[in-house]
Amino acid sequence: MVGVVALSAGGCTSRNEPIGDRQTLHMVALPDLSRLEESVQVQLRERHAALDAKRADPSTPTTDLGTEYGEMGKLLMAAEFDDPAEASLLNAQALAPGDMRWPYYLGHLYSTNGDIPNAAAAFERVLRSAPDDVPTMVRLAEAALDQGRPDAAEPLFTKALSLQPRSVAAHYGLGRTALATQDYRRAAQHLDQALALDSTASIIHYSLAMAYRGLGDHRRAASHLQQRGTLQIQPDPLRKALDELLHSALNYERNADVAGNRGEWPAAAEYLRKAVALAPTRASPRHKLGTALFYMGDRRGAFDEFHEAVRLSPTFAAAHYALGVLHEEAGEHQQAIRSFSAAVGSDPVHVDARLGLADALRRSGRLDASLSEYERILKIDPGASKARFGYAAALIRLNRHQEAGDRVAEAMDLHPNELSFARMAARLFAASPDNRVRDGRRALAIAEALLGRQPRTIDLVETMAMASAEMGQYGAAVTWQREAIEAAGRIGRRDVVERLTDNLEQYQAGRPCRTPWRADEPIEF
Amino acid sequence: MVAALPRVYLRGLVLALGVASCSDRPVSDAAAHENTAPAGVEEWFTDRASEAGLDFVHFNGMSGRFYFPEAIPPGVALLDYDGDGDLDVFVAQGQMLGQQARSEALHPPQGPLKSRLYRNDLDVHVNRTRTLRFTDVTGATGIVVHGYAMGAATGDYDNDGCVDLYVTNLERSQLFRNDCDGTFTDVSRESGAEDRGWSVSAAFVDYDRDGWLDLFVGHYVYYTVEGDKPCLHSVSSLRDYCPPSVYRAQPDHLYHNNRDGTFTDVTTAAGMGREFGPALGVSTADFNGDGWIDIYVANDGQPNQLWINRRDGMFTNTALVAGAALGAVGEAKGSMGVDAGDFDHDGDEDLFITEIASEGHDLYVNDGTGVFEERAARARIRLPSLPYTGFGTAWFDFDNDGWLDILTVNGAVGHTAEALTRNEMFSLQQPKQLFRSLGNGQFADVTEHAGAVLKHPEVSRGAAFGDVDNDGDTDVVVANNSGPIRLLINNVGSGRHWVGVRVVGRHPRPSTRSGRPERAEGRDIVGARVGIVRATGPTLWRRARADGSYASANDPRVLVGLGDTAGIVKVRVEWPGGTPEEWSDVPVDRYTTLKEGEGR
Repeated sequence: MVGVVALSAGGCTSRNEPIGDRQTLHMVALPDLSRLEESVQVQLRERHAALDAKRADPSTPTTDLGTEYGEMGKLLMAAEFDDPAEASLLNAQALAPGDMRWPYYLGHLYSTNGDIPNAAAAFERVLRSAPDDVPTMVRLAEAALDQGRPDAAEPLFTKALSLQPRSVAAHYGLGRTALATQDYRRAAQHLDQALALDSTASIIHYSLAMAYRGLGDHRRAASHLQQRGTLQIQPDPLRKALDELLHSALNYERNADVAGNRGEWPAAAEYLRKAVALAPTRASPRHKLGTALFYMGDRRGAFDEFHEAVRLSPTFAAAHYALGVLHEEAGEHQQAIRSFSAAVGSDPVHVDARLGLADALRRSGRLDASLSEYERILKIDPGASKARFGYAAALIRLNRHQEAGDRVAEAMDLHPNELSFARMAARLFAASPDNRVRDGRRALAIAEALLGRQPRTIDLVETMAMASAEMGQYGAAVTWQREAIEAAGRIGRRDVVERLTDNLEQYQAGRPCRTPWRADEPIEF
Repeated sequence: MVAALPRVYLRGLVLALGVASCSDRPVSDAAAHENTAPAGVEEWFTDRASEAGLDFVHFNGMSGRFYFPEAIPPGVALLDYDGDGDLDVFVAQGQMLGQQARSEALHPPQGPLKSRLYRNDLDVHVNRTRTLRFTDVTGATGIVVHGYAMGAATGDYDNDGCVDLYVTNLERSQLFRNDCDGTFTDVSRESGAEDRGWSVSAAFVDYDRDGWLDLFVGHYVYYTVEGDKPCLHSVSSLRDYCPPSVYRAQPDHLYHNNRDGTFTDVTTAAGMGREFGPALGVSTADFNGDGWIDIYVANDGQPNQLWINRRDGMFTNTALVAGAALGAVGEAKGSMGVDAGDFDHDGDEDLFITEIASEGHDLYVNDGTGVFEERAARARIRLPSLPYTGFGTAWFDFDNDGWLDILTVNGAVGHTAEALTRNEMFSLQQPKQLFRSLGNGQFADVTEHAGAVLKHPEVSRGAAFGDVDNDGDTDVVVANNSGPIRLLINNVGSGRHWVGVRVVGRHPRPSTRSGRPERAEGRDIVGARVGIVRATGPTLWRRARADGSYASANDPRVLVGLGDTAGIVKVRVEWPGGTPEEWSDVPVDRYTTLKEGEGR
């Protein structure tokens, strides 16, 4: 039986001095697990039992015992029991000093808790035995940045890069280091390189934007700000192993979220299936699994999971919303309306569900009902441009063109970068049957501006034709219309070709268009 | 692992980032400076709430259901409501949530639950010692706060010389007009400032420079008790407080003062309706140096907003491109408290924001044009702040050496796995932190030396900064969630020279209601910039302000430390929308009222 020394939490006990032998190990007692998920309890108890067995056997090699402590420590860390995790990892480090995993995980533990000096000490210990370990080098450099020491961080990142020239983390780190010293040129160089190596790590964009801003290149800065995201650089294998360690439904969900954010839907689905297996009565993993299957193209599978989610949790707004989306995509407006209504019934401020409801109502001809829903959305979120668009579209369908014109003009002011409003406005002003609304000059100006800001779509070309005709420029109108017809023909849209030909004949006869959208022509954002 | 961490400083070591043990901690120049305290002062701050009669204990309504609002309040306000020259205290109170009976509370409250106003009956004796005494005057003043209060903002919105009170709330904010006779009237509905929805921080601000205070109200999320969502701790699967991402953010509101006792909601007209997040902190200042007040909003878990005043009644959010929306690597952080101040003496307003544990607080350094760089790590703030979740905060010169320091009051918002498995329902306590400026753009965490009250772990939220005992240094009132109020009396600052000014407007415009008394000296002109011109060294710029921190309202007087420099100083005041003025021969070590129009 090994002797134990209780770890005093947070005191002056030297955390990184070698202990040396089994007589002076830290005690590792399991906390009260009774309130945890059953699967996690089992996992922790089994691991602890294995540790106990090895400890009790005097023939267990010291390094093997160290490994047992290390695995125990990892699991405790994954379960966020930090104090016993620390004790286990300290024991592992002492018993198996040549195994760099244990000080690495200690460093990660300290880092997670904001104890950067101890994290740095642990990472340094790793590098003493594994001086070329790039992930640890990167972690140590990051700790130096946290300490406001870019001068200490740079040589570490530089060495990491020399060992692994394609290390995204090293380039990213050097970029951040350069930013910290306002060396924007170097920062941009390294951050550009990091992005080139891993374009999915959207987190890089923000730092790159700051670098270009520092260089005075505001266009590039703005571009990167628009592309910024939260996807991190891929973690190193040791951290990845830790993230996947805990056999818990919530942990599998968490891993699925990370995979889903990266667009790795099959991996997300696999995690979620495990989550469902562990927690078959929880609706959330079902809903997320449905989402993953949807993105994998398995609509039937998605449907089934969403249905199961609402069966398990009838007020689960997100799942009702997802069903609504599927129904709407399939043109099943009534079912979509029911699902969206259920979603907003559970969560009145679920803007996406309410928008789905409003759009479904509009598409199924229930225009007045759609108007009230759009209004409610705009009260919840005045910035909801799609709701503003939908409202105007409903007014158009109700032939309330003057109100629609006012709304869309207001929307263009509020959302100057949202081209859908400009497109709607151009067409409305070009071809509305309401004299008070038509303004050919304005329509032409808007449409011409759009040509410079967006791809030349069939819709836009058709709008140019309408606006030209309204201005009496029938020759130009015919030219534009012919271009639209040709484009529609090229993509095999005979229905569109037919519709466009009707208007062509109008223009050829010197008559303007008075039907901005036909009844069967969608008005979409 | 929330136990106290050994503090290690690695100055002078380039690559060796290892830990020294507690017994051989290196002593460096910086360490020596940071520890310097006036002789004979053992505790830099002392809590005197109880002895002074501030007996308020906050109740958050917790019943084991982890309702989301429980972890958010309270805020506190310092205001001189009776115009007697000293600061009174208002503090927000909670209630049971939903239909729950008090008996279901984990810690049932004793006595009625009321937000309270305490009058400061400060006695300054001939020998300059002070007796602090507070009296609960809530009933006498007529302040009746409904429902679950969050925090407060202060400002004289009707220009009668008497500071008014705006109380933010989980459901319905209230505006209390100070009637200048020791009482308040609830004018929420008739004023148009009754703001529905969950508001936490608010600020009175004269954004259009017409001499009348308008009102900005930050909203958090859409929430009802009936729609409360159960959240599970990420690993333990046990119930815990939710993050704000579970709920939808609510738009903030800007109210324009119509100069007749009423306000008009101009949120949409001002261009502020389209961008918003779960707002927790608000600070108003002229960030781009164009003479017009801008508004900074700290959002919890979403990008912050920097509303730059376009001078035409509209605002543009430039936070993202200005580098003030996100953390250093582009992450949206759990921003709670915020304050603006010129910590580096370059004449512009820098921003300090408190964040969630493991994120590290942010220091946005202004280049003078409203463009910022995040420099918390270089300033040596990031590292010591990592273990803590910060709320109320402010730039203040606690030791009157002329350099702005920072205090953060802390308290977690979620539990550790270990706490939950032990069935602990409220293990959110954390110590406060005091960062002392080293005068070189860097700070030292001097909490260890500042007094037991700062090290005592509590669930702190609001903090109001002001000279409560009028002795020439800045004190702090701290509002604790589900805990007692603290009155941190500063014992060190008054040992150095200082200058205090109160900047007030011209005689108030005629009030639109006859018969109500007014105070002759005019209202505090919040937003005015005050420059202390010294014989040597750069001008020290400060700002008269009541906003900032978290859900709290500060002393609008400007108190500037002069270090060891005695003698009179020149003061320059830049009035919002008015002509700058100067006063020579402003005496030090006392407060002086500077009235608009009476300078040179």
